[in-house]
This record gives sequence, structure tokens and C-alpha cells, in this order.
Amino acid sequence: MTEENAVQEIEVCASCMAACPVQTDTRGYAEAIAQGNYELALELLLESNPFPSVCGRICHHPCEQACRRATVDTPVGLRALKRFVVEQTSEYRKSRQPEVKPANGKKVAIIGSGPAGLTAANDLALEGFGVDVYEAADTPGGMLGQTIPRYRLPIEVLMEDIDAIVALGVNLHTGVEIGKDKMISDLQAESDAVLVATGLSESASMVVDGIEAPGVHLAMDFLKAAAAGVPIDLGEHVVVVGGGNVAFDVARTARRLGAKSITLTCLESRDEMPAWEWEIEEGVDEGVELMPGYGPNSVFAEDDVVKGIELKRCTRVFDEDGRFSPQFDDANIATKVCSSVIIAIGQRADLGCLEGSDIEADERGRLTYSITTLGTSKKGVFAAGEVGTGPGAAIEAVREGHRAAIAISHYIDTGEIIELPEPDIAKPEELTAAVAQRVQESGRFDPDMIPAEERVQDFREVETGLTEAEALAESRRCLACLTGAEVNEAACAGCLTCVRICPYDIPTVDRTAAVHADQCQACGLCATECPAGAITLARYSSDDMRDRIAELKEAAGDDLKHPLVLSYCCVFETTSRKYLQPKIEEAVETGILRILVPCAARLSLNDLLAPLELGADGVVVLSCDENDCVTPAAEAKLMRHVRQARTTLEDAGVPADRILHFRTQGSAEESWEGSWAEALETLRTLESAASSEVTK
Amino acid sequence: MIVAKQKPISEIKEFIEAHSKVLIVGCGGCVTVCLSGGELETQRLASALRIAYLQDGIEKELIAPTITRQCDPEFVEDLVEKYIEGQGIDAVVTLACGIGANYLADRLEGIAVYPGQNTLFMGGVDEPGKWKELCAACGECIVYKTGGICPVARCAKTIMNGPCGGTNDGKCELGEDTDCVWYLIVNRMKELDSLDTLTTLEPPRDWSTSRDGGPRTYEVEDREALVSESEGE
Repeated sequence: MTEENAVQEIEVCASCMAACPVQTDTRGYAEAIAQGNYELALELLLESNPFPSVCGRICHHPCEQACRRATVDTPVGLRALKRFVVEQTSEYRKSRQPEVKPANGKKVAIIGSGPAGLTAANDLALEGFGVDVYEAADTPGGMLGQTIPRYRLPIEVLMEDIDAIVALGVNLHTGVEIGKDKMISDLQAESDAVLVATGLSESASMVVDGIEAPGVHLAMDFLKAAAAGVPIDLGEHVVVVGGGNVAFDVARTARRLGAKSITLTCLESRDEMPAWEWEIEEGVDEGVELMPGYGPNSVFAEDDVVKGIELKRCTRVFDEDGRFSPQFDDANIATKVCSSVIIAIGQRADLGCLEGSDIEADERGRLTYSITTLGTSKKGVFAAGEVGTGPGAAIEAVREGHRAAIAISHYIDTGEIIELPEPDIAKPEELTAAVAQRVQESGRFDPDMIPAEERVQDFREVETGLTEAEALAESRRCLACLTGAEVNEAACAGCLTCVRICPYDIPTVDRTAAVHADQCQACGLCATECPAGAITLARYSSDDMRDRIAELKEAAGDDLKHPLVLSYCCVFETTSRKYLQPKIEEAVETGILRILVPCAARLSLNDLLAPLELGADGVVVLSCDENDCVTPAAEAKLMRHVRQARTTLEDAGVPADRILHFRTQGSAEESWEGSWAEALETLRTLESAASSEVTK
Repeated sequence: MIVAKQKPISEIKEFIEAHSKVLIVGCGGCVTVCLSGGELETQRLASALRIAYLQDGIEKELIAPTITRQCDPEFVEDLVEKYIEGQGIDAVVTLACGIGANYLADRLEGIAVYPGQNTLFMGGVDEPGKWKELCAACGECIVYKTGGICPVARCAKTIMNGPCGGTNDGKCELGEDTDCVWYLIVNRMKELDSLDTLTTLEPPRDWSTSRDGGPRTYEVEDREALVSESEGE
């Protein structure tokens, strides 16, 4: 993300994109998948996020929470689609050559190789800075590499992202602890700027009797040890204290390490628990017993062996102003027998890297820094990610990494500290109930989970990816918000055709037509019927068909095949990318030029006729099967256009059979070849009839 | 609006058979609204003709613009400048109503002008895609006497004191598809509590304001003021 992009005012973007902390072009990659262009989808992902592999696994997907399809049925599974993209493009990603600006001779040192640090490294390396990243642990990735359990994020998945960043020329030094092996002052001396991105690597603890017993563990240490494969003896019964996502990582990890029973207790009630609902559900499926609404009173230990924990009822977590201020009922005490206790009540920063420097931290041990400039108390030293913002999601750390790169690059270029602007993002209105109920419902494809009893046996990844057919179908559930009809008011005759034809009842006419962008479902029917040609579509234009015919003619030269068929194909019918992304060479060879359309009902009468005047011998429309169209009543419109086009040909003295329509039977893969063969046969018959006519 | 229906392509094809460079001109006015001669229909016609010529190995150049309106000289002048003058056009097919053909013929010396439409009537939408005649441009509107419903345009016999003996359960003797306009008028006047107005006999009318008086013109008062002084200089 360049400085220019960050400052640029964003007008209105799709809700999913607006909700993403880095404004990933979610709608764009869903569409690229739908078109079978997985490489483009990856490029779109990488534009805003160097961690697509990680986010495809563990992102908390605010895009999905904001997806307007939720008003119709369920949101589009964007996270699973992201995973699909990176899985499909791993070879392409290794071979791609991002454009790295020539070295500018300036150096930046980054402490911490988590998502914030490495995102900054990524952006700065692309801009031509020399970047050194220092990681205290032997594994890079910060918390992603050290504490996120492997069943959620396999290390090789994390390394896909990190390897791509390192490949930009970033020097990654693992096992180097700043403040011990090397001092921050060394980095200041060697570099033009320093970024502290050390995250929150230590667990917060609490003061209760018995907490010092050896069987009481802290979440971060426990998770690090588990990820590193260090043996931990938990005994049979484990109590986890905490109700957030880390607590569930801990509980589920303990389960995999062999604990027979795991009780997770937290101050909050079940409804208030801060963990994501899916984390809670997956934990419960794996046998984690929930005991919400309790706080530890004391831990019992005999001869340094934990025997149990005493819990007291929490009657309130937050005060009237929403501040954390727990209250307890001391008379309501529960006892839980256990062999170990793991505390997962929050994280804090380890500021050991500042050792020997006068960079300021507050009395609670938090680094002093400005959220708007990312500057610390020392000019030239910046901070980003959880060390500054407090706990957050990986994608939020990525955003902070981008911001840090902008701040640092500006500082190095000008010597000035920049106030980082917040992007001004507007999103469309919610779909109205009237529109939502007219949109055809379609079930969401969720990735499969390995059954709970199987997955707790080890640290294998719990979720499987989508199949290609599932991913294509899921990507096509995207409503493509804001990519609908656009009216050229100067050409509009105010005839009301769009108002009459819209299956969603969206256009209005007040002198000229308006197709309200935030409600338009981009079905394209109005554009096909507009008698003034005043409506265009952001997502499909027949110019593509014209360009492709010209390309084919040029590529084929004198070898242009006849009969030459232009085949419009409904993209919704494909279950693989076999027919998507058609290549010209293929058309040269087969004489069948495919044009993929997002619903064949988007084809106007002139889209059907034009290929014939451009030199095609036949036009074949491959639409969905009967009653299968996603757009209400679109099928009748398509049939009308085909009928009109055929009648027009006949009226002009041209055989109507030069335009043929076939329904897809089953899937594209199952039926299209047959339809093309039949069409070629028909066209050959026409050709021979015409030549015998000439002979006569 | 003026309602028109495009002529069969076969007929238009015959018109231009002997011409080699033909301009097909759509109109953005009434014929766009009645779906017969706007941009979409103009392209359809041009496309169909090109396909036919390509099939038959006939070399003919077709250019198919659509202009804002063909009933204003300025728009026609623009068309002439952009697409006709010095371009070797030897025929024009207009997809405007008959007015367009006249404007173009008056303006285009030595270039054949053909109608691509059959101009039908002045009317409005009955149902989407279906229009009906509602005004006959008789030049002296009398519908204030008939509840807003026009017997000139809507009575087959243009009877001014109806209904005639052919009225049949509200329908005209022409058939089930045609309402008896006098039946409608009577009901409308009843509803307006003005039925007695119809008891006054309507004398024979002077049709000289209609077509019977010859081609008509109309000009607003002080129309010179509508033109800027520099005009024509």
C-alpha cells in the first residue's frame, strides 16, 4: 500500500471491503474465482495483504460479518475462498516476480516478525528500502509461528507468506533477541529507522493463592512449548481460566496433548464470552466443558502438585459504563478437581528489546507511542501492531504494518513525522427487505471439518479446503454489490422499460432513469432491454466479445476455422476451470470461441446478432438448465431475445439456425461439448444447403 | 407520443438494394419510447442487414447512428455534418416516425430517403409493449364535453353524438377488442354527475382545423424572440 493509496479518499466500496481492516478487494477476488482466474484473485489478495495464506486459515473475517448476502440467507464464505485461492496458486506465487523498486540505499530495522513487522518489511522492501527483521524465536511469524496452534495454522502455510516476503530481499534474522544479543541502539546506529513490532508475547497473570504452584501454566508459555513440541505433563484434568480466543487455543491444545477433561472457566457469562462463537463451538465439539461466570479464588496444591481450583461466582464483569469491574458472590463457591491450571486471561508486551535505551513506556509497562503517527518517544523509532494497539486480530496487525511502512518511508524521505490519515470509507446501504426477499436463496458451501473425535488425536489441521466446484459455486453467491447498472442520463428517454423489467423493482424514473446502485443486483436485464442503449453494466460488456473475435481472426489468419462458432456460456454452470479463461489458441484449433457471461439473460438481442456480422458462422448460447437461473424470470427474457434474434435473421433472409440455444444438462463439463458438436453439425448442414443453392 | 412500427427488414432491404453506402438513422424521441426506432432497434436493423449482405457476398457499407430527435433542424443539421456531408452516403433509412423522413428529404439534396417505420398513431401505453391511439390531432379539442375521452380518435366513425346502433355491451361493432368510446363517455359523465351535458346536440363540426384544412403549421407569438440575434448572421 503506497502513501498515495492510503491518502486517497475511497468513495463507496462494497460492505465486505469496507469492513476489512486492509480493504481487501473481496468482491474482486470472489469474481476472479468465479471466472476461473485464480491467479488474478491472488494478485488482488496480495495488493492489500502479504498474509493471504494465514488469513485464509485464521482470519476472523469481518468481511463475512458485513456481507450483504446475510440479509438474503448466509454470508459468502470469503475466508474459505481465500484459502482456496492460495491453495490453487502456490506454484504461481513462487514464480511471480513482484515489482521491487531499485534499492534506495536506506535501511530499516524491524524488531519482531509477526504480521505487523513483516507487513511493514514487505511494503518497505517493495519501495526499495533495505530491511532487516529481527526475531527472538527460532521460528518466524511472531505469535503466528509460536502460539497459534498448528491445527488452525500449519507452519508450512505460514511459511508460504513469510517466504514470499523474504523473497523480496528482506533479511530475516531468527534467534536474535534485541536487548540481549544485539541492542536497539545498534539498530538505530545501523538504520535510518527502527520499527518495534514485538506484539504481546507474554501472558498476564493474576494474584490468587496457589498460583505459583508448578502445575499452573501461563497461556503463552504453554502454547509456545506445545508448538515447539516440548513435552508438558498436564495430568488428566485441566482447568483453563479465560474466555477469549487464546483460552480456546489453550483448551483445545491441552485436549490434543492428552488431557481427559478440560474445563474452561471465565468471568463472563456464556453470552459475554469474548471468543469467536465458532471457536467456542469447535471447542465444545472437542469436549471442552464450559463453566462461564466464575473467577478463580485459589489453587490447591499438595507437595507442588495441583489438586484442584476453587472458583467463586462472578455476578458482574462490567460496570454501568462498560468498564471492566468484576464483582463476585463470595458465598457461591465451586470446587473443581484438576491436575493443572492454565491461565489465559490476556497478554502483555515484553519490552526487553528496549533494554539500554531511553525509549519511554508507561507505568503499566506499555510502550509510549502515538496511534496516529506510530512514533515512539524517540524520533526515528516507530511502533506497530499489538505492542501499541493492544490485542487484536492478525489482519489488524497487517493494517498497522502497512501504516508503519507509510510512516517510516515518509520519515526517511522527509525527516518529518506524518499524521497517518484514516481512509474515508463509505459503504452501500443495507439491502431492503423487499429486494432481499426477491434474491434467490442459495446454500453456502462451508469447508468440511474433520470429526471432533478424530481431530483431537493430534495437531493435524481441523478444516479441509473447499473443492474447486464448491469454491466456484461459493464465489458465485457473491451479490457483486455496486457493480450493477449505470445509466447514461443524456441518452435516457425515460421510457420506463427498466422499471418494468427489473425483477427486483429497483429502477425509478423521474425524467430520466436511476438504477439505485446500493440495491441493484447486477442481473443486467435492464441493460439488455433499454431501447436507448442508455444502460451499461460495470461487470460485463459485449466489447469483450468484439475484442475476442478480432483477436481470434488475427491469431488464425488464413487458417480461420469454419464453421466458426461464437459460444456464449453461462459461467454459473461450470464446476471447474476447464472452460473458463478460454485461450485464443484453443479457439483457433476448435473453431469455437467461448465468451463466458455471468448469466446468459444478460445477452441482448444485439449481443446475439453482432458476432454474425463480425464473421462468426453461428452463435451458440449455453444457458442454465430450466428453472435453474439465479435471476428471477430471467429465463423468459433470454428465450425472448433468442426468438427475436432468430426472427430478425429470417426477416433478413438469413437462416434462423445460425443462432442456437442449448440448456446445460447437469454441468458444463457434462454437456457443453455435446451442444457444440450438435451446433457444428447444424451449421455444416446449413453451409452445404447454401452451397448447393449456389450450384443450382 | 407518436407510435410507429418498424417495417419488415426484407422491405427495407429492397429499398436500399441499389445503394452502396447507407445511413440508418435512429431517433431518441417517441420511437425510442415505443421500442421501434431507438439505439437498440437501429443496431438490430443494421446488424441484421450486415449479416445478410455478408452471407450474400454483397458489399454495402451501413452506418447506424441514433440522434436525439429527427424533428428539429438543429439535430438534423448535426447529423448531416457528422455523417452525411462529404461521406459518400447515397441513401438514408430513417427509423423516426414519418416526420423524420420529411425532415431528411427536405434537407438532403440528391440523397434517397427511405422510411424504416410505418407511423401508426398518436397514443400511449395500454400495457407494457402495447400502445393505443388516443388523439387524432383534430385541432379543436372537444373532450371537455366528453369527460376527457376523445370520440374523434377513439370512435371508429368519429361520431360526435353517440353511441351509434353498433354499440354492444360496451364494445364497438368492430369487435371485442375495441371499446365503444361512447359507452365509456356515458359512464364517465355519469360518474362526474354531468350526464345532462350529453343531452345537448352537438352540431356538425368544422373540420378545417383538422387534416381537411390542408397541411397545418403553428407558430408561437413573438417567436423571433426565441432566436438569439446572432442567429443567421
